[in-house]
Amino acid sequence: MKCDKERVTHWLNNQLIDDERQEFEAHLAKCTACQQEVKEAREVLNMLKQIQVPEPSADMEVRFQGMLDAYKQSVVKNDNAWKNFISRLQQLWSFQPKQQLGYSIVLVILGITVGHLFFNKSPKDNSKEQIAALSSKVEDMRQVMTLSLLENPSASERLRAVSYTEEITNINAQIIDALLRTLNEDPNVNVRLVTLEALIKYSDQPRVREELIRSIANQESPLVQSALADIMIRLQEKRSVEEFRHLLKNTGADNPVKPKIEKTITQLSL
Amino acid sequence: MSEPTDNELMLCVKAGNLDKMSLLFSRHHRSLYNFLYHMTHDKQASEDMVQNVFYRMLKYRNTYTGKGQFATWMFHLGRNILKDEFKKQKRTGNYEGLEEVSEKISGGILADEQLGKKQAQHKLYRAMEKLNEEEREILVLNKFQELKYHEIAQILNTNEGAVKVRIHRAFNQLKSIYLKMESYEV
Repeated sequence: MKCDKERVTHWLNNQLIDDERQEFEAHLAKCTACQQEVKEAREVLNMLKQIQVPEPSADMEVRFQGMLDAYKQSVVKNDNAWKNFISRLQQLWSFQPKQQLGYSIVLVILGITVGHLFFNKSPKDNSKEQIAALSSKVEDMRQVMTLSLLENPSASERLRAVSYTEEITNINAQIIDALLRTLNEDPNVNVRLVTLEALIKYSDQPRVREELIRSIANQESPLVQSALADIMIRLQEKRSVEEFRHLLKNTGADNPVKPKIEKTITQLSL
Repeated sequence: MSEPTDNELMLCVKAGNLDKMSLLFSRHHRSLYNFLYHMTHDKQASEDMVQNVFYRMLKYRNTYTGKGQFATWMFHLGRNILKDEFKKQKRTGNYEGLEEVSEKISGGILADEQLGKKQAQHKLYRAMEKLNEEEREILVLNKFQELKYHEIAQILNTNEGAVKVRIHRAFNQLKSIYLKMESYEV
């Protein structure tokens, strides 16, 4: 066995288990280096043991007792406060016998159920009505806005007004009038073209159809004339032939849509 | 009827019988005081810390599980308080322990033989102070409190193997410091 300083320490501490101890002691008997080690360690250990610790003060126990008493009192105070709180809660409870409490709970549940059964439907209907009212109001507002915007001097605002009409579901005569007026009188070609597009949706109304036909004579812009020609073909409106003929007579030879109008006339006359 | 064990007493305290703490105090305050004294070399501070440890035992009695030994728990709390104290000392930078020792050495006329012995002890005392806190602590628990390795392991929250290694290292360190001091003087 080799010398092992650590074993010396643990042997001196009496912490070697039986086998280890016997083995070490056998080694120690022969090994002078380990004997020297043990000697030194013992010397230090003995010295250590002799380090004197001054006696603690005699009043340590008295001080402890004082601390304990003070602590006990503080605990009792806390306990009392807690107990008072609990007993007060219990008193509150004693005013409400269980039967009565049960009765009132049943009543509350009953009330909620009955209320639920009776009024369950009405809130839904109510909300539907409200939504309908609200959307009709929004629609009204849109119509008013469209009308006022169509009078706006800015062409882009008028374009916006025309686009609003696409969102209005129940369009009224006032709006139709305004659109027709725009179609015939608006100084901007783009606005007139967009208005024409918007009016196509209402071409199933006889009045709109008539006004569109009448408008052919009013249009000076070849673009609008061309668009009207397209629409008339789509609607197969034979009554427009007369108007187109009239237009051809009045317009100059340099009109780029002249051939298109002629073609339209022949198509519609078939 | 046999004497109640520490464990039984502490469980009584936990259940609300706070007076039983007195008995535990008289059984253990001295060993706790010794431990703290060896760690600090300061009598007054050690006494204060003993009171503090027992106060904490009362306050945190509900955390006592009764699984380990009562003494283990006590040293555990003692260590925590000691750590706080060392932190405080590092901040203020005062260490009264050494002064107290030199006073004791110089105080009174000692016989030559007695003086030599005292000086040797004083050297060892200083050697102890040269150890770091961990080394000193494990040696105090081992040599002065004479606790078993597994008990020390419980107090230090570690395993027995680690305790074995650390005790050996700390004792060797102490020995070499002490022998070095010896050789300087000769």
